[in-house]
Amino acid sequence: MSTEAVTQQATLDAAVQQLGNIVLGKQAQIELALACLLARGHLLIEDLPGLGKTILAQSLARVLDLSFSRIQFTSDLLPADIVGVSVFNKGSGEFEFQPGPVFAQLVLADEVNRATPKAQSALLEAMEEQQVSVDGKTRTLPEPFFVVATQNPADQIGTFPLPESQMDRFLMRLELGYPNAADEREIITGDDRRTMLTEMNAVTSPATLLELQRAARRVHMSDAIVDYIQALVRQTRESAEIEVGLSPRGAQALALAARALAFLRKHPGVFPDDVQAVFPPVAGHRLKPASAANRRKPNELCQHVLDSVAIP
Amino acid sequence: MKLAKPRRSDGSLLSSLPWTLAALAFALLPHLRYLPFWIGASFLACAGWRMLIERRRMALPPTWLRATLALGGFLGVLGTYQMISGVGPGSALLAIMASLKLLETRQRRDQFVLLFIAIFLVMSALLREQYLWSLPYLVAALVLTMTAWLRMSGDPGESTRASFAIGTRLVAYAVPLAAVMWVFFPRISVPFWAVPIDTGSGTTGLSNHMSPGDISSLSQSGAVAFRVRFEDRVPAPRERYWRAMVLYNFDGRNWSGNEPLLSQARNLQIDVGGEPLRYEMILEPNRQHWVPALELVQGWELSNTVMGRTFELTRVYPIDQRISFTMTSYPTYRIEPELSMSVQGWYLRFPHEQNPQTSTLALAMFRQAGSPERYVDAVLSYFHEQDFYYSLQPPALGSNPVDRFLFDTRKGFCEHFASAFTLMMRAAGVPARVVLGYQGGEVNPLGGYMIVRQSDAHAWSEVWFQGRGWIRVDPTAAVAPERIELGYTDSLLDGAATAWGGGTPSEFLHRIRLSLDAMNARWNDWVLGYGPDRQTSVMEMLGMVNPGWRKMMLTLVTLVVTLTLIVSALLMWRYRPPRPDRARILYRRFTKRVGIEPALGETPRNYANRAQQVSALSATAIHATTDAYLAARYGGDAAAMLRLEKSLKTLR
Repeated sequence: MSTEAVTQQATLDAAVQQLGNIVLGKQAQIELALACLLARGHLLIEDLPGLGKTILAQSLARVLDLSFSRIQFTSDLLPADIVGVSVFNKGSGEFEFQPGPVFAQLVLADEVNRATPKAQSALLEAMEEQQVSVDGKTRTLPEPFFVVATQNPADQIGTFPLPESQMDRFLMRLELGYPNAADEREIITGDDRRTMLTEMNAVTSPATLLELQRAARRVHMSDAIVDYIQALVRQTRESAEIEVGLSPRGAQALALAARALAFLRKHPGVFPDDVQAVFPPVAGHRLKPASAANRRKPNELCQHVLDSVAIP
Repeated sequence: MKLAKPRRSDGSLLSSLPWTLAALAFALLPHLRYLPFWIGASFLACAGWRMLIERRRMALPPTWLRATLALGGFLGVLGTYQMISGVGPGSALLAIMASLKLLETRQRRDQFVLLFIAIFLVMSALLREQYLWSLPYLVAALVLTMTAWLRMSGDPGESTRASFAIGTRLVAYAVPLAAVMWVFFPRISVPFWAVPIDTGSGTTGLSNHMSPGDISSLSQSGAVAFRVRFEDRVPAPRERYWRAMVLYNFDGRNWSGNEPLLSQARNLQIDVGGEPLRYEMILEPNRQHWVPALELVQGWELSNTVMGRTFELTRVYPIDQRISFTMTSYPTYRIEPELSMSVQGWYLRFPHEQNPQTSTLALAMFRQAGSPERYVDAVLSYFHEQDFYYSLQPPALGSNPVDRFLFDTRKGFCEHFASAFTLMMRAAGVPARVVLGYQGGEVNPLGGYMIVRQSDAHAWSEVWFQGRGWIRVDPTAAVAPERIELGYTDSLLDGAATAWGGGTPSEFLHRIRLSLDAMNARWNDWVLGYGPDRQTSVMEMLGMVNPGWRKMMLTLVTLVVTLTLIVSALLMWRYRPPRPDRARILYRRFTKRVGIEPALGETPRNYANRAQQVSALSATAIHATTDAYLAARYGGDAAAMLRLEKSLKTLR
């Protein structure tokens, strides 16, 4: 391993460790969230309020030393509230662009399904293009650019669920879930998370992060793993419980995420474990369950697919 | 009790049924010309009905109705053909079967039957006719049937294009086998088995009698009678008389000859002179015994063929397939210079009570002429100078046809003139007879051969003179010399040109026809003409000593087996399972050693965790082996393979 690689790995280890101190008992989700960012993908965190979604996003920004902004999505949010607006400056006699909160390296879109589809699509467009157009002028968003969106489960009242085509813009969707008893105890008795957040140190710089992202793309992927990904994708298309399986873009996302996770885990190549670990968060929100299996949660469907495909 | 309910279609065949129908319809196509109209119509009706059933999810017709229709179809075929064997009734029954099977087609299995019928229909089409387009048709029909087959039995998600591609590939795999079969399957000179060819459609070409009172349809047919390839020179149009048979009995209306004499006539008096013409004759099947030959033929390389008393060639077997052979003819000849009085009398007979005016005229003209030779000239100039017309649509002639023709209608074609001329000769005491055959022939500049069509069929006369023998006299030439000089086709073309005010369209069509015929001739020559002789020479060319059917059969079997093996080997190579990875083999050895099987979808890491619970092996060994395996197989790490091998050895 080169010295460069060694420092890279050390950086990542430190990041994982720091995040683990703040978000307790969510090792797997932290790993996946980091992998998602390494794979240059946007992240959707879906769970009930109060489970640490916001904390996770904020701590990610902190630890990776990214400029952070937060947009609270509400039903009266307008696209201009996200991308910014041109304001007339009396002094200069010209219109001046006031950049919106989307002009940050890490954007937390809190409760994204509370806003109207119009506001949602303004964000989703920015995610896709990595640029926004205001008053006919195209403005590039900073680099790296991540969106961490949080969302309440769609069956809550007063929400606008993201359409399937837009769910596709997120590389991963994570669920946090309740912490276990011991961790919850520590949350109750320990320091305030927000105070801890301010005390966090950055372990890397945006420039290093870009390098890490490049390195993650170069992780060896054997033919056997490509076969495995293809077999999994085929299974999603052929399974009777799934109406719409993974698209080729979904398969590509799976490969990218698996590479990033393997990089994070210091594997010499992508292992079947890496593919299996990223499969539910990558595939879960892209599958459309068949109506008969409607009661089945996406994660269960994904597990079912994993259990029925042989590893080559 | 369960009530039998008519099962409704569930629409599941909707995707494959149109293909099956298309394959069937395509297979039926070449038969339609021959089959009675109602069979094609009932196929269309059944196909439409079945599609409607599938579309509207209707019930299939009940059993009693199907049984009635089946019985009706069978009786209809029986009524049309009076029999149920042979190509005609056979294909008619197949078509009926296919139509009715459609009405009980519920599932794939039934569609299989339909596609088998389609293949049978395609094959039986070859029993009817084998033209140039037969091969492309055959290939297209097979590809279509295979595509239908794949639409029906393949993956429902498979695209039509993919089915078509696979179907084409399957047919392509069969091509080498078919080629080997074609080259090596022993050809036998006598028909291998007698296929009852459609007798209802009648024989084409000449018949062995002629009644000029009836309108001939023969001269309208552009079908090829035979093709001729001359070795060095092509005879002039006026020499192109192809003798087929001789008619000498006249009953007042009809001229007739004998049934073909299948024995060699002995002591024929023939003197030949001049430059011989050698040529290859490629004779289309006419299902008759006679063999046309340029006058006068002296040599022919066709077995079982003899020259009869009247110098015509007959073959023991009717010509029911295309044959080619070489012949030698002499344009200058003298035949039978001496005839006994009794034989002369034979050629003078005619019913005296009929055609009285003709007899009177003949006697008067003979008296005026003085000698038989001058009498012949006199009669020819009579035809030439009086207003006789050559016409393909002559009026009907009634009970004294020659009288009516000579003195009343004066319109006719070769048969009328030959008949009238010969009768006038006989009435004046000059022995004469009618010769039937072909006159003319068109040289195809594209293929370097001559085409003689059924429309070139012709009748002329032969007159006998003491010491000179039989002399050909063509009375039609006296009336319509252009018919002889240009041939039928060209004289017709002239007419068309004047009628249309310009020769271009028909000339263009004619050129197309000629080039098509040149292609067809080559096809006949190389493909259909691949008979026993050519096969033997090809076998010798390929190095077979004394080719016989046993050797060919042996070669055929050997080649077929070899080819099948090669093709199977290639296919097996192409679709071979992926070569198991070395690391994978070692890992399988490891899991066997551990003693529990990895579950489906269980990663090596998870397996290792499970194994350490149950296996007697140490946890470190298990994890070391697993890590080595993961690195070797998924990490692209060559050194890890050694680690894996080593740790496997330590396990032992």
